[in-house]
Amino acid sequence: MEKSKKHLSDRVPVYACIWAGSYIGSLGAMKTLELSPAVGIMLTLVPAIAFALFLYKFYRSLYFMDEVQIKIQMEAVVVAFALALFTIMTLGLIDLAVELQPDDWSYRFLVPLFVAYYFIGLFISKRKYHIGHEEHD
Amino acid sequence: MKNTIKVERAKKNWTQAELAEKIGVSRQAINAIEAGKFVPSTVLALRMAKEFGTPVELIFQLEEGDWV
Repeated sequence: MEKSKKHLSDRVPVYACIWAGSYIGSLGAMKTLELSPAVGIMLTLVPAIAFALFLYKFYRSLYFMDEVQIKIQMEAVVVAFALALFTIMTLGLIDLAVELQPDDWSYRFLVPLFVAYYFIGLFISKRKYHIGHEEHD
Repeated sequence: MKNTIKVERAKKNWTQAELAEKIGVSRQAINAIEAGKFVPSTVLALRMAKEFGTPVELIFQLEEGDWV
């Protein structure tokens, strides 16, 4: 049982890498190659499916976390969500004041930013619960 | 909320990792609870009390600031 719990939580980063890889791959292909709209939509669906799979695995891994680990994850998501809202709100207002150029700014830039927000939240939460620099016994 | 987990562990000569394994949580969780950074659920507190063979209210005690 313990082994399967660990196995499941170990797999989450693998699915995250698959999603990141498929997203970067699709992005690169669509930016550099002349593709038909149908192929473009197919390439859009690949990271979307990979992300859905990652989300499912991440959600399932919560069942095998203890109380502290769940709280850390939840707090990280709360921080990420708040920062994401802040970013979208600010960008929306800036876009009204000064029209943003798609080459300078697009939805694509939000993806790495939101991922970074999650890691910021994770860092803050882990620090709060002293995870990472514990004293031993 | 203060707790006497460290004292109880010392009595049993258990490490944080050993206690964590007995009650089915991570060692980091024991560390956070022991340091007062995290208040465990009732179930976890009772599991801990059972392992120590001590009433739960002896392990976890309210402090002045816990009263509204």
